[in-house]
Amino acid sequence: MSMLDGYGMDTITMAGTLEAKLAAMKGAGFSQVMLMARDLVTHPGGVQAAVAAVQASGMRPTGFQVLRDFEGLSGHLHSYKLDIAKSMLQMCAATGSKVLLACSSTSRHATQDLDAIAADLKKLAMLAVPLGIQIAYEALSWGRTVNEFTTSWDVVCRADCPNLGIGIDSFHIFAAKTSLDAIEELDPSKIFLVQLSDFMWQETPTFEERMTTARTFRVFPGEGVHTEQLADLVLRLDRIGYRGDYSFEVFNDDYQQLPLDTVAERARKSATWLHQDVLHKAAPLPEWTRRRA
Amino acid sequence: MTLNKVDREAVPDMPNRLGIAGIEFIEYATSRPQALGQVLENMGFRPVARHRSREVTLYRQGSMNLVVNASPDDARVSGTVDGQPAISAVAFRVQDALKAHTRCLDLGAWNVDSHAQAMELHIPAIHGPGGSRFYFVDRWQEFSIYDIDFKPIPTVDPNPPALAGMSYFGVVQYIGAARSADWQTYYEHMFDFSSIPDEERFGILPKGKLMKSPCGSFLWQLVEPEPWMDADDSPECLQRIGFGVPDVGLAVATLKARGVEFVESTRLHPEDRGALTRATLGSVAFELVHQ
Repeated sequence: MSMLDGYGMDTITMAGTLEAKLAAMKGAGFSQVMLMARDLVTHPGGVQAAVAAVQASGMRPTGFQVLRDFEGLSGHLHSYKLDIAKSMLQMCAATGSKVLLACSSTSRHATQDLDAIAADLKKLAMLAVPLGIQIAYEALSWGRTVNEFTTSWDVVCRADCPNLGIGIDSFHIFAAKTSLDAIEELDPSKIFLVQLSDFMWQETPTFEERMTTARTFRVFPGEGVHTEQLADLVLRLDRIGYRGDYSFEVFNDDYQQLPLDTVAERARKSATWLHQDVLHKAAPLPEWTRRRA
Repeated sequence: MTLNKVDREAVPDMPNRLGIAGIEFIEYATSRPQALGQVLENMGFRPVARHRSREVTLYRQGSMNLVVNASPDDARVSGTVDGQPAISAVAFRVQDALKAHTRCLDLGAWNVDSHAQAMELHIPAIHGPGGSRFYFVDRWQEFSIYDIDFKPIPTVDPNPPALAGMSYFGVVQYIGAARSADWQTYYEHMFDFSSIPDEERFGILPKGKLMKSPCGSFLWQLVEPEPWMDADDSPECLQRIGFGVPDVGLAVATLKARGVEFVESTRLHPEDRGALTRATLGSVAFELVHQ
């Protein structure tokens, strides 16, 4: 048991090869990693070699990302996205990830009917059952129809499917200024993933600003201007009984040009802050105290 | 006056949107067809026909068809571990195979590509647990599908009677930890199976969750690893077949006389409700259930 066991980094935060990223995370004390499909397919040895690298690192996959713009389409667009979804599910299963992240659609071609959206997500969840995968449906703050976690939760409830739950991303909650009171309405067993990050602006009123910030200038929890809200979010999740993983979804152009160990160290500090100062969880006792006499 | 619980929760008609009407056949994949054939013959099955183009044999007794697939170019055969046979498919009798297949794909099933050769039947299928398949067969009343793909074995009775009145009772599926709800929803959604209350159990192995086919003619049992089996991350699979028998004692005696061994321990032994055969070839066990 390590203090950092419930926290993980995301491969998108760092530059370099998959192996180097895994080594840096492990070196900072992390034992899990959120994998991006691109890490697998751009591996010089191909997907198989990437999967082998993840296995060799001994890191547990927090989940696998990301399926975009899946729901609400019809006709040939639906068939096309279904094929993409199947390939993503197969890669997800190959890595041993138990969670596939699906982000809410931004497409103007998609229906805004929540029941139709729920039916598509149920289909995705059914595809995932034989592979042993759970679908975490996340509201992007620039999603066309679903852009707050309250709506993604509504859709998940409508679909009523055990392996379909929601993914929470603090960035999108703060960017859309969604009230945290609605956290109380969530069933903690249906939160399949919590991704944490902060950013440096107080206001991101337009979808364009949210997108640019989300993709280039997120920071680790404790480093941004929403520290208090982020602590509040994590405490509320803890209070309703969420005991799953916290993954740091930090897209940041600066971190992409820093040494990997430096970035991983920032992540470790962030996790330590969350664990000790926010959640007030005890640090595990030193190893010698647990040794049997 | 108060209504009792049964009245309150009565469901008038169970939907059966695929028109499921029983199990047409169950298939084993194995690289040791002779050894498995011997086990099946001990259980009362007789080889009745061979496939025209592949190393596949049809066994039969009474109403039960059982296919042994030893085709070396089938990944499900080459994928078997340590020569242990695996249940690789269950074929359901349905109203309309194309409609059933299309409906399942629309609901999120994985299609299985057909490898039918010239003049062979294309039986539509979807992927099931652990690399197994579910086939949909609709022409089981007008003629026998086996007449097309199989050649009868000469001099053999094509319809051997069932030993001790055995018939297909159900299939046991081993699933991952905390996966019951996933699979229950899957089977409800795809096949209109319905869950049976935990208090209602058959046979001598009451673990897990039990579901019933919409036609009511077979059961599906989902068994998770025990909580203490932390290390059990073995792949999900169709684990064994259950046979329904009118008289378990008689069936056990008949099978014992043919060399079939039963699990007999202090906690598990043949009794009126059911019996379990000792696993042979590492993985092949059958359950008898009083019906």
